[in-house]
Amino acid sequence: MEAIADFAHTFLSQLQKPTLAFLLGGMFIAALGSRLVIPDAVYRFIVFMLLMRIGLEGGMEIRDGNIADMLLPAFWAILLGCGIVLLGRWTLARLPGIKMEDGIATAGLFGAVSASTLAAAMVVLDEESIVFEAWIPALYPFMDIPALVLAIVLAGVHQQRQSGQHKQVRVWPIVKDSLRGSALSALLLGLMLGLFTRPEPVFESFYDPLFKGLLSVLMLIMGIEAWARLSELKRVAHWFAVYALLAPLIHGLLAFGLGVVAHHATGLSPGGVILLAVMASSNSDISGPPTLRAGIPGANPSAYIGASTSIGTPMAIAVGIPLYVALGELVFGIA
Amino acid sequence: MTYKATEVTIVTEKVIQEQIVAIIEAEGATGYTVIEGSGKGRHGLRTHARPSVAGDAFDIVKIEVILANRAAAERIAEQVADRLFTYYSGIVYLEEVEILRRSRFGE
Repeated sequence: MEAIADFAHTFLSQLQKPTLAFLLGGMFIAALGSRLVIPDAVYRFIVFMLLMRIGLEGGMEIRDGNIADMLLPAFWAILLGCGIVLLGRWTLARLPGIKMEDGIATAGLFGAVSASTLAAAMVVLDEESIVFEAWIPALYPFMDIPALVLAIVLAGVHQQRQSGQHKQVRVWPIVKDSLRGSALSALLLGLMLGLFTRPEPVFESFYDPLFKGLLSVLMLIMGIEAWARLSELKRVAHWFAVYALLAPLIHGLLAFGLGVVAHHATGLSPGGVILLAVMASSNSDISGPPTLRAGIPGANPSAYIGASTSIGTPMAIAVGIPLYVALGELVFGIA
Repeated sequence: MTYKATEVTIVTEKVIQEQIVAIIEAEGATGYTVIEGSGKGRHGLRTHARPSVAGDAFDIVKIEVILANRAAAERIAEQVADRLFTYYSGIVYLEEVEILRRSRFGE
């Protein structure tokens, strides 16, 4: 009983933390029809800053760390990315009134990873003084790319069956396109700079101190966008809303379970387990949609972007993160 | 002294800009103009005024190309409509225009 009360307390206190407060604040003013605009260029710069910071810290830690510790979590990341897409392919995409392409594209987006959700979770863990391996966020491409590639391949296979034409889906161009996207480019560049150079002075004086403040602006933008996209979601099947509500939590809990296995097998930290769960719970908002638009042109962007941005991401941040933190405290006894 | 030529205008999603440009160049055009913008169509409002979480791939571009050769202009319009507009949203139209310096607009 006490455990449940503790759980509820952790959960509620998260709602008052800046990360969530700014997200909900953004939704609130958008609902009131506010004309507050944060320029697009600022948004892009913030995304760059966050991913560069994640990359730098990950790279610096890998430089001094043990690569063998990363193998199991990296494998879980790939498994989760693919598993989530297959799960969506056999549930959401088979529901009545759902076009197969729309379902597969949505599953692909939910299997992919949101850098902003991940950054929000890092700040929350920091505030809770829960330590995690800095290379965990850098595992994000291991989940992101396989999910997007698999979704595009599945959609290609489906289209072939429909039309009877044989058209090979080429995997490498999709991977290349993902890696060249602005989010992953920044992350990978940061990783390399952290690995091969000594960026500590700029990291400590610039990237790290700005992280929390910039994230709050990003959360505000995400909140505004989430509200703005709700109208799009209204025009597609309601199953997308149901999926977007439930899938982030189911994916996160699956990942949490795999994380616990890695905790016992290779000593993954509790914070690392929580971040793995957040990664699986999140759905791509920056790199995923354009990749899917190009890769699965038959799918309706209103369905997958609406499901992800307006419901999936707020669910992953507002419910998912507090849930996994509370769960972590329950399972690992951290406080 | 002016000459007759055909202008092809394509208004579509930015995500397929490169594919359209490839079609235009394959038909021998020596140049084209791309203008980014916003608007509303069957696929809803598109704007680049506010930050879009999904990035700029969903912005609108207007691609204009003028060709002295009417047949080449028609081939561009047909290829764009047949190959790309099955799934991507967009419109394409042709206009008769009068140009100066004919050598600038291909064979």
